[in-house]
Amino acid sequence: MPTVPILMPQLGESIAEATVIRLGIAVGDFVRTDQEIIEVETNKAVMGVTTLCDGVVSELRAQEGISYSVGTLLGLLNVTDAEVARTGVESLESIEAKRSASSHSQSPNQAEANLHFALDDDAYEEAPAVVPSVKGLPVPTGVMGAHYISPRMRARMDDLGIREADISAIAGTGAGGRVTVEDLERFLDYLDTWPSSAASPMRLAVADAMRRSWTRPLATVGLPVLLDPALDHRRNQSPRPGLTLYLLRAFALALTETPTTAGYLIGDKVVHPRSFDIGVAVQVEDGVVVPVVRKVDQKSLTDLISEYDDLVDRARRRRLTEQDCSGGIATVTNFGTFGLTTGTPIPLPNETLILGIGAGVKKPVWSAQVEAFLPATVADLLLTFDHRVVDGGGAGFLLNRVSALLQKPENL
Amino acid sequence: MSVTYIDAIREAQEKLLREDSRVFLYGQDIATFGGAFKATKGLADQFPDRVFDAPISEDAMIGMAVGAAIEGMRPIVEMQFADFSSLAFNQIVNQAATHFYRTGVPIPITVRLPSGGTPGSGPFHSQSMEGIYAQYPGLVVLTPATVSDAYHMLIDGVALDDPVIFCEHKFLYRWLKAKSINGDHLPIGQARIIRPGKHATVVAYSAMVHEAVRAAERLQQDGWEIEVVDLRSVKPLDVDTILASVARTGRLLALGEAFPWGGVTAEVVSRVTEEGFHLLDAPPQRLNARDTPVPYHPKLWAAHRPTPESICEALRKLLTF
Repeated sequence: MPTVPILMPQLGESIAEATVIRLGIAVGDFVRTDQEIIEVETNKAVMGVTTLCDGVVSELRAQEGISYSVGTLLGLLNVTDAEVARTGVESLESIEAKRSASSHSQSPNQAEANLHFALDDDAYEEAPAVVPSVKGLPVPTGVMGAHYISPRMRARMDDLGIREADISAIAGTGAGGRVTVEDLERFLDYLDTWPSSAASPMRLAVADAMRRSWTRPLATVGLPVLLDPALDHRRNQSPRPGLTLYLLRAFALALTETPTTAGYLIGDKVVHPRSFDIGVAVQVEDGVVVPVVRKVDQKSLTDLISEYDDLVDRARRRRLTEQDCSGGIATVTNFGTFGLTTGTPIPLPNETLILGIGAGVKKPVWSAQVEAFLPATVADLLLTFDHRVVDGGGAGFLLNRVSALLQKPENL
Repeated sequence: MSVTYIDAIREAQEKLLREDSRVFLYGQDIATFGGAFKATKGLADQFPDRVFDAPISEDAMIGMAVGAAIEGMRPIVEMQFADFSSLAFNQIVNQAATHFYRTGVPIPITVRLPSGGTPGSGPFHSQSMEGIYAQYPGLVVLTPATVSDAYHMLIDGVALDDPVIFCEHKFLYRWLKAKSINGDHLPIGQARIIRPGKHATVVAYSAMVHEAVRAAERLQQDGWEIEVVDLRSVKPLDVDTILASVARTGRLLALGEAFPWGGVTAEVVSRVTEEGFHLLDAPPQRLNARDTPVPYHPKLWAAHRPTPESICEALRKLLTF
């Protein structure tokens, strides 16, 4: 009686193997044509393996929970000659017969075989190319190599002054989805058909700092803060400190309570602040610069005004020195000046924290004292932090302290 | 009418004997018997005063040749098997290789080494010694892979004033045939691109060139274009041609039949890594014989040395890195 193989079928494009999740048959069972006998699972769906003809299960090789590549022999059916003739299926016997016939016809003459280098030329079977998979699920293309940059690719990128972040737009065609030099050249040729201009040195400096900073796990938290006490206080001062200065001073005082929050992680070490020197983000033409105000914790609000005004003035005139911009432990940014109410600021690459404030907005705020909604000026206070160093708890404590300090501006 | 690799070696020696009276041949059983592989068949009849049988002492053979070279002769010494040249190691690496450096007197000897494996030859008749000799300053090491190279490189090697280690592959002796010796004659020290390609470079020499080409033919069916570089001479090493090829392909497999520890393939990988790291898309790979003595049994032997199958496997890994 002929034997017909039950094979793992091709279950769809790009599916190399499937996991058997249920065997619906046992040895000795009679099965009918097109009966679903084995349930298999791929990354796309659960599917059934069906029989090609009527027969009796004579052997079962598949086991539940195991992955088999397409074409694997899962079991055998005993089938009648009549059934083989009716369905036209190929029996194991006829496959064997064909195989031995073809190997005879390929047999090289003996003299040549003796001289031939590889003695077992025909015995060698090349392993079928199987897509990398984990428990039957193909590993998505690109996981292996999309972010791998070969020395050759790196050299070409260096030639062109191109960074990894610049090539994120390219879908690689190389091994494992890797971006190749050819992909890069094609992409650059394509971009040549678009209008372009040279980036300014300022733009490139900001780009470089932001790119380096973004390599870290950054998180942003925020809360609404009442600005009225600070605004009222400011009205009665001469000269008048800017709102940013209030924030700067409150931030410095809050940090003195938890200085490690501004620590910088390097290797297995956290580097602590040496001095509470805090930077201020100043928008200039085509970029941002961050001059640093020194020892903010030790100076009063009034004392800070002239130093702050000088730095901002020089920043706008592009007259800051390297010294003016170095040594900060954190930065304050007031993007409210652009009319923005919220944002997710990014700290400098050498700092762990950046405190941002949005534009003040008049809002009704519930007053428990008079039991009514009263108008108040509210702004979003946002803190972005390197989550390797600080957690939500630490960030929340810091923000709440800044908020509280802003409510008593006379103490700043 | 075709010419085999061994015919080419015999004809080159005949031409050298005919045209240069300073040339003589010396080796065990090379005169009356015509050599173990018949590389000198009939030459003793033609040149009875310049084709001599040597005693069974490789040490004495090279010592005598060095002395003759000092006196102005250009001896060609046949080792019966490359493996036995270890008995002449002192004369080759301490005397011949250093003589010009020490005294200013060149030693233009050529030592023919029947090299490499054939089925059933076993540990004492299969070795590839090129890597060992290439280590020594003062020696030139040639490894022809084609009939025409065997002819031209032997003639060019004898013309060199430095001692030459001429590694001829025993398997190629009768297996490799050409219609005739062609005029495609590159100078010593220049590699040849046997087969152009763009996806990976195989650098090979001697018999492995043919295995590399067979592997490349198989991979072509899958759309891979493999470039095969025949080193021709392992010392001097044509690093420029290798680097130019790697610049085209970005991937390198260095292929050799010698043992895996150190050697020519290690040198090739090392040079490419040092001088052409920026050209590489994948870590350069080596494929050599296995790290055991060469086995007798033909099936073990086939598993010991690189074959088109193992070369294809190494290349597939390299191509998909």
